[in-house]
Amino acid sequence: MNNADSTTALLVVLRHAPHGSSWLREGLDVALVGAAFGQTVDLLFLGDGVQALIKGQQQGPLGQKGTHPTLDMLAMYDIETLLVDVESLAQRGLTEADLQLPVTLITASQLPHLFAQHTPVFNF
Amino acid sequence: MTTAMTARCLLVEDREIALDPEGYLVNLSDWTPAVAEALASEEGRVLTLEHWEVIDVLRDFYTRFEMAPAMRPLVKAVGQALGPEKGKSLHLMKLFPESPAKVGARLAGLPKPTNCL
Amino acid sequence: MQLHLLNRSVASSHVYRDALRAMSDDDYLLLIEDGVYGAVAPLVEHFSSIAGRLFALREDLESRGLEGRCAESVIVVDTEGFVQLTEETERTVSWF
Repeated sequence: MNNADSTTALLVVLRHAPHGSSWLREGLDVALVGAAFGQTVDLLFLGDGVQALIKGQQQGPLGQKGTHPTLDMLAMYDIETLLVDVESLAQRGLTEADLQLPVTLITASQLPHLFAQHTPVFNF
Repeated sequence: MTTAMTARCLLVEDREIALDPEGYLVNLSDWTPAVAEALASEEGRVLTLEHWEVIDVLRDFYTRFEMAPAMRPLVKAVGQALGPEKGKSLHLMKLFPESPAKVGARLAGLPKPTNCL
Repeated sequence: MQLHLLNRSVASSHVYRDALRAMSDDDYLLLIEDGVYGAVAPLVEHFSSIAGRLFALREDLESRGLEGRCAESVIVVDTEGFVQLTEETERTVSWF
């Protein structure tokens, strides 16, 4: 256990794609509430969560709101650490150039450390 | 968007404007500057140029992000649009006492900000 | 040290892969609900990298008729054991 480099930032892990379920939106809501109350929030996009960052998303066929405007809004809440699992991108045929926002890429070896150093972790 | 229940109506320039139980517009597209004036005068506020600047910032925020801002992002958005002197919670508290994010959103015809308690 | 909870079967959901990738070397993984289907051979082989740190909840094994078929490498705990695991670890992370 290495407490020297632990961080008090909240880690919100987003693992679900937009539109298919409400998990992504719920995760983003937790991040926004945390930030609105002055917490430092880091976001990790993992698994299908990386699909949330794809460029060119629109509202749903019945006019359902997308989550892409909320992602653009994160900077206004001072949520600027967007971590993206490189392996999840590659599995889905994506690269950094396909994403709508600048991100920090995370490699497999960094992943366990990320979970261990953040207290607390909210997994969505 | 008509998700909220109509609690009462406000007559503005011969149009009935539906309001929800907390005084927010039921139909966001009903908003006009005259509606903002009417909502403000109901609570005894007179809108000055400084109020309108912030209302414009709020409406622009909603157009860009489809969400009404909580206090922290509102301060930041006002600062970016109107300069650091106005991007302060004190300035916003003077203009919209009690809760600038909530009062501002109501006058600007936005939904109630969800992540601000 | 963290306790990871997995409630999906490895046969139907890939979420276990992300859980394994997020785990540190001393973290525990507890299979609950449909997660316990992964406690039986051959599916349990997906968890070979965390031998000795893989647990399954007895109540969920029993209700699915799996208790006698659970692999030997899996440590079976009851609800009380679950509580002890949460006490031993700093926090829990749920995978679903």
